[in-house]
Amino acid sequence: MNDIISRRAMLQRMGGGLGAIAWANMLARESLGATKSTHFPARAKRVIHLFMNGGPFQADLFDPKPALQKYAGQRPEGADLRTERPTGGLLPSPFKFSPRGESGVPVSDLLPRLGEHIDDICVIRSMHADNPNHGPALMQMNNGTILPTRPSMGAWFLYGLGTENENLPGYIVLCPGRPVRFSVLWNSAFLPSAYQGTYINHSNLDPTKMLPNLRNPKLDRETQQRQLDLMVELNQRHMAERGNDPALEARTKAMETAFGMQFAGLDAFDLSREPEYIREEYGKSHFSNGCLLARRLVERGVRFVQVYYGNGQPWDTHSKHDQQTRKLCEDIDRPIAALMSDLKRRGLLEDTLIIWGGEFGRTPTSENGDGRDHNHHGFTMWMAGGGVRGGMTYGETDEFGFRAVENKVHVHDLHATILHLLGLDHKKLTYHYAGRDFRLTDVHGRVIHEIVA
Amino acid sequence: MPRALTRRAIFLGAALAAMLASPLVIAAAEAKPAEYKPEDIEFFEKHIRPLLVQKCYGCHSEESGAREGGLWLDRRSAVRQGGDSGPAVVPGDVDGSLLIKAVRYRDNNLLMPPDGKLDAQSIRLLEEWVRRGAPDPRDGETAARETRIDLNKAREHWAFKPLARQPLPAMEDGVAGRIDPFIRAKLRERGLTPSPEADRRTLIRRLTFDLTGLPPTPEDVEEFVNDPSDDAYERLVDRLLHSPHYGERWGRMWLDLARYTDAVPSWLNSTAHAHLYRDWVVKALNDDMPYDEFVRRQLATDLMEHTGLEDLPALGFLGLSPTYWKELLLPPDIIKVIVADEWEEHVDALTRTFLGLTVACARCHDHKFEPITVEDYYALAGVFASVKMEDRPMIPEEQYEPVRKAKEQIAKLEKDIATLRKQKPVPTDKIKEIEAEIARIKETTPHFNTPLANVVTENSLYVVQAGDTPQAGTRLEYRPGPQNLHIHIRGNPNNLGPEVPRRFLTVLSQGEPQPFVNGSGRLELANAIFSETAAPLAARVIVNRVWLGHFGHGLVDTPSNFGFSGSRPSHPELLEDLTARFVENGWSLKWLHREIVLSATYRQSSAHHDENHRIDPDNRLLWRMNRRRLEVEAWRDAMLAATGRLDSTIGGPATPLDNVDHRRRTLYGLINRRELTQMLQMHDFPDANQHSEQRIGTTTPLQGLFVLNSPQITTLAEALAQRVQQEFPGNLEQQVTRAYQLLFSRTPDELERSLARSFLNGNPAAWPQYAQVLLGCNEFIYID
Repeated sequence: MNDIISRRAMLQRMGGGLGAIAWANMLARESLGATKSTHFPARAKRVIHLFMNGGPFQADLFDPKPALQKYAGQRPEGADLRTERPTGGLLPSPFKFSPRGESGVPVSDLLPRLGEHIDDICVIRSMHADNPNHGPALMQMNNGTILPTRPSMGAWFLYGLGTENENLPGYIVLCPGRPVRFSVLWNSAFLPSAYQGTYINHSNLDPTKMLPNLRNPKLDRETQQRQLDLMVELNQRHMAERGNDPALEARTKAMETAFGMQFAGLDAFDLSREPEYIREEYGKSHFSNGCLLARRLVERGVRFVQVYYGNGQPWDTHSKHDQQTRKLCEDIDRPIAALMSDLKRRGLLEDTLIIWGGEFGRTPTSENGDGRDHNHHGFTMWMAGGGVRGGMTYGETDEFGFRAVENKVHVHDLHATILHLLGLDHKKLTYHYAGRDFRLTDVHGRVIHEIVA
Repeated sequence: MPRALTRRAIFLGAALAAMLASPLVIAAAEAKPAEYKPEDIEFFEKHIRPLLVQKCYGCHSEESGAREGGLWLDRRSAVRQGGDSGPAVVPGDVDGSLLIKAVRYRDNNLLMPPDGKLDAQSIRLLEEWVRRGAPDPRDGETAARETRIDLNKAREHWAFKPLARQPLPAMEDGVAGRIDPFIRAKLRERGLTPSPEADRRTLIRRLTFDLTGLPPTPEDVEEFVNDPSDDAYERLVDRLLHSPHYGERWGRMWLDLARYTDAVPSWLNSTAHAHLYRDWVVKALNDDMPYDEFVRRQLATDLMEHTGLEDLPALGFLGLSPTYWKELLLPPDIIKVIVADEWEEHVDALTRTFLGLTVACARCHDHKFEPITVEDYYALAGVFASVKMEDRPMIPEEQYEPVRKAKEQIAKLEKDIATLRKQKPVPTDKIKEIEAEIARIKETTPHFNTPLANVVTENSLYVVQAGDTPQAGTRLEYRPGPQNLHIHIRGNPNNLGPEVPRRFLTVLSQGEPQPFVNGSGRLELANAIFSETAAPLAARVIVNRVWLGHFGHGLVDTPSNFGFSGSRPSHPELLEDLTARFVENGWSLKWLHREIVLSATYRQSSAHHDENHRIDPDNRLLWRMNRRRLEVEAWRDAMLAATGRLDSTIGGPATPLDNVDHRRRTLYGLINRRELTQMLQMHDFPDANQHSEQRIGTTTPLQGLFVLNSPQITTLAEALAQRVQQEFPGNLEQQVTRAYQLLFSRTPDELERSLARSFLNGNPAAWPQYAQVLLGCNEFIYID
């Protein structure tokens, strides 16, 4: 049996839709990594997901709700939705908004630099999800379901698209620490394990520490080159005696790729190779570094980079919400603005999709006076670049920003739309397993065509 | 029961039947027209039709191709007939019509349209329409909501039929046994030539890895190669089948199916003894426990008369099932979904492992492809709803009772210590006293450290509201005794249909399945799996798994799906005959292994053959042996063995694999299903959150980096270098020869020697680098 997945085994699992495409791809290349063709022309070729783990409050940032002031401390009808914990009356946001850009879309004054880019951003105000707990909500945002048995969206992307750079993993997850759920958020479940995300804790910027086993602590390049040459020679003799076996060849190739990756990887992850003015532009916080690494990676053909804002769940502001939010926003404003400018300068923004948001939002009602609880009923996410219409808002929450009411966008709809932008039909991107075809969007999902440019 | 299940027919949901032009589907129903007042028709045309077209047809009309929730809204008959949740409209009954309930947006489980509430005026118009009797001039047939499946036909599916030995194809002389004739007949049919027998060096290497997951020692190889007797191979097979390492190798295959984990949920008292299940599996296989008994005990050993407390770890298959986090601050309707998700996982693992059926697909609706109804699903899920995962001592309760008390006492004392530590100044002496007391209790209580097995007990889970309102959160209540489940309409536990008694699958039962009456029904379930009507399927599934383990390919290449949607066997007669004989031979797995590895088919060379390859490139018909890559366990174990670092102790607690000093077999590396060790993760080890039918091998650069740079490999390379240098000091030729024997079961040829010489270039310090190359070579990881 081949260990690169045999063509037949793979085809068996592809659903009708991807079948034809997959067939062509499989014939073209036996490798899992090869770039694949899509269902329709892709608007985005790669994705950067800026994950505000913990969940930011929508009405602080992109969804102004003056009614909160009017009903401060009260709990009028419609503001009594249940969330994880008991909450009290409505708690107004102290932060001011200004119309920004030519579009005049309101952005919080907490995000002055990001506001400059609003004409490239589509703000989705009507997100909603199913579960107000962090774990399940993180799973739903990443895997489309709260079950630990399904592949993450990044694994689906690679399954559908392949990777553009065989010297780097196609799906990289950056976090200066760990989010509260771990590898299940980027797993490949029943998809081949080559599609799982590679988790990197970038709190240490030494590139040799980021990818597992990237460098040999003892051997120099010359010695390793000699090792590789010998191994290739022995493998070739072994192969020659055995005739036609692509699996043997694939493993030899993987060794050569790994050898190259030691240096390509080093280069991709080495922020010290950036000029100082770029480092300055992004700032030097963990999140700044994550954004800059993301740019270096997508530039080198990594398909999907997720940047978790921080260790644990920094946006989970159950107390001292305003104070914490001010700090958090200060920390994200510069790097995200820099990332967008940088991608634009390099001509990458048009086919790089940026996604921003948490696993859910927060309540307009107060928790313990100065905190806010989780809110899956309504929250904001935004997308930019990669075929998304900028300078617009889509959907609305109710007058308190508690629940999505107009043009609601479920997480499944978001996934369907992201896949659409990547050139994949979410109903056709299927994998046959355990007796049925699985999809990222299960039996749900609606592409939000209104936000596609 | 919602609908009578007759012996001949069960019902399948129609959305599915429509998609499935299956010979199983028999009949359809239709609806009738009516007459309406002109002003009612006008009202419909003016207000209702445009609304439906604009807001609903996208997901509920034939034209759109979508029939969400089994519901169409594009014709009168369909509106009245409704979808999975029942009629959409009850003419005249505004509050009783689901359509109205949905658009009012008050019930969180029923919000339509899904992308936002309609404006108030539209809702009023719809209400008015229903009040008027829902006048609707739209005609059109509706495909039946319910069609029937012919169970007798379903039971003719190849995998469900009774087993029988098959007539042997006519064969030339020298083709013996009851495996090779079937293989040869197919080869002949397709113009393929069988490959010659592999040489002895290849055979012993193949066989030793296959049966024990370890390489043969150079001494074993020489002895076998030089054994002049005719039965040398048979004796080798028998010796390896008797090796205690056999159970380790094949036990791991079972643990993939059982989604084994070492880390159990924190809410169980025992967090250290999951390995008892793993060790039970290894021992059962080493003892050649008959397969049916092996399965029965894993489901119900506590209910069986002839097994004792020492057998309790068998229940780990159930007792170590995945559980999902339940935040009890949340209202019950959310927690019920999570609990239902757990049941789905359990049904999935059970039915795919033992029966090769994908029953979990029927959680939301009747199975689209299989004769499995939603009732069948809830009948099995009810068994899991009637058990509780717990840990249990393997000694009699009267012996354990003092331990229980001692543990309670210690818990209390530890609390006291925690309180004292908060005092200022900390009363150190007092704390020391209590600690001494704890130590004393531990020492003086007999059986204090007795291991606890992960089991299930007969308690049913109820998810209830913790206070007066849902806001008050949830309480999980376990009550003694079993419970039946109600159907969850479209898989939603907050939308209940009729109650379903716990019982076995209809299609695999003799006539109508009888409700389980003995507690949760685990033992009845286990017995049903081996009843006359189901046992043939259970047997085919395990025989195919063993075949897959030896050839890298099953005769059926969907090993956990033997249903209508699964693959057909490549050699149906062979599978039938082998399975029939497996059952005749008392479900003995060792008999089965022996039968397979003694076949000429298994003993073929894996060499390439142009003409054969042209006809059958995937080797589906087995014109040669498949060349296989070692799984990560065997690969790592082989490195440990070759370098002389292997500690081959059997059983015991697991320890983390990323420690370079871990010298035990990979089977004993810690498996945490929440966070798999990096090395396993990058080498295709299955996700322990769910049943894994088969490993999917991948080749990636990350694996290459592991070979080039990981501390695990470099440590082993150094050990190998040290070993051969110590065994043959100063003699490079012999060192290289020895390394080749240890790693590849052969001696190097002249060119390989000269490559070694030029790499080492008179520098013995470079030996570890050379050893690393050999460890990374294809020849070491691929078995011919």
